[in-house]
Amino acid sequence: MTSFRKSEAESTLVIHFKVYVHGEPLQLNKKYKNPFGETYEISRFRFYVGKIEPVYTDSGQKANHASSYHLIDISDSSSTVIEFPAAKGTCNGIQFLLGIDSVDQNNGAKSGSLDPIKGMFWTWNSGYQSFKMEGISPLSDQPSHVIAYHIGGYRYPYSTVWKIKMNTTNDEVFRITKEYKIIIEVPVELDYFFDGATPLRIKEISACTTPGKLARKISENFIGSFTGLTLTSNP
Amino acid sequence: MKSFAVLSIIGCCYLFSNNTPFPFQIPKGFPPPVYRFSNNPRTKQGLFLGRKLFYDGKLSKDGNFPCSSCHQQFAAFATYEHRLSHGFNNQFSFRNAPGLFNLAWEKELNWDGGINHIEVQPLAPLLDPHEMAEDLNQVIARLRKDKLYPSLFNQAFGSSVINSERILKALTQFTASLVSADSKYDQMKRGTAHFNKYEQTGYEIFQQKCARCHQEPLFTDFSYRNTGIEIDSTLKDYGRMRITGRKEDSIKFRVPSLRNVFLTFPYGHDGRFATISELLQHYNSGIV
Repeated sequence: MTSFRKSEAESTLVIHFKVYVHGEPLQLNKKYKNPFGETYEISRFRFYVGKIEPVYTDSGQKANHASSYHLIDISDSSSTVIEFPAAKGTCNGIQFLLGIDSVDQNNGAKSGSLDPIKGMFWTWNSGYQSFKMEGISPLSDQPSHVIAYHIGGYRYPYSTVWKIKMNTTNDEVFRITKEYKIIIEVPVELDYFFDGATPLRIKEISACTTPGKLARKISENFIGSFTGLTLTSNP
Repeated sequence: MKSFAVLSIIGCCYLFSNNTPFPFQIPKGFPPPVYRFSNNPRTKQGLFLGRKLFYDGKLSKDGNFPCSSCHQQFAAFATYEHRLSHGFNNQFSFRNAPGLFNLAWEKELNWDGGINHIEVQPLAPLLDPHEMAEDLNQVIARLRKDKLYPSLFNQAFGSSVINSERILKALTQFTASLVSADSKYDQMKRGTAHFNKYEQTGYEIFQQKCARCHQEPLFTDFSYRNTGIEIDSTLKDYGRMRITGRKEDSIKFRVPSLRNVFLTFPYGHDGRFATISELLQHYNSGIV
């Protein structure tokens, strides 16, 4: 994928995507209860992010880089940390794509994070899923009580691809400089995923594996589970 | 002596040469193709590799189902005389295998247009449990272990790395190169052949009655249409609606090209029309 050459005017930004349940880091294959009291466990959790850019407060300062696409896979902690160069400046947030935009959905065979071996590509109805969550729940009436939210689709009106802009908590400002490595944590809280704009009760919706209205609604819940950014910095 | 040495080096280079450009020619009178090989420049070595992959059972789970098992050259790369094709473990495909030609002009592929780019098309039959039924990682591992493939990938792409992108791009060099542009119709258009009285009458009737959907010179307008067919109760195939989720796309299927039409029988998305006469009968009186 794209690699960047750092120039003097640049520093490094580190983005760490973290998934939580009730405020604790998600552990795979562990029993949880969603806000409706339904027991579930998750065995697989992946989503695409891409084109991450800092949001600069100084007008005129524009991001000169955006990262390429990354597949965040909770089973591989190294995939949850993305490091890339960014132009110096004062910022109060980041923006990124959740999912793969329509240009890159329509562009033929790809390698790297978009390689179909990653299991995120639909073959009979071409397109990359935006996110995938699999697991089991006794509330599910699917075979072997599986839950499967394979959420994708990039065509109007059922796109599951979102541009997300997030401000830091309390609009805290951070400076991208050469001296400090800024680490931004992007938390995702699964309680908000279930108890979102469309209440997602496993008893009622235990699977969604095709693009369409339901996938779109579930993707709205997913973006609703992204909460405020928190910042740390390392010299 | 010196010049002899230079000559022999040139000879070796030719034998083991890499990436010999082999640009795609657009037939006279054809519109510009959708696929222009822009991220996948066509080379002799790439085309050779793609052709080998197309005919190789190593791409399927049990070794018996290369692309060419359903796309037979003598049937314009459709499955000859079969409503549905045969796949892994005595299973049938979901739809009638289309002939493969002029694919470089197709913006979307398949009877329902569900595939958005020619390069990703092979993934569908490859991973379908009813067809080639294979896992992509298995295919890659098998080709990496093969005696020949690493050097063929090296010749085609400049290194012996084998990954899904390269497999798909090589296959596309072959499939996008299948061009139908030299039928009697094409020769007539170019002025090198003439229709006889019956052919000319047929052509005129065709232009009045059929050419709106089967537009020249590709003989399709690439649209999806409901031609008044009944749903097959076993296949339950609603066509384009499966992709778009829109009611108005129910039972709509891609208008197929009529090139090579005598080779691609039986007809229709599920091969329900055995002959051209049956098909014409349907348009005359069978529409539901």
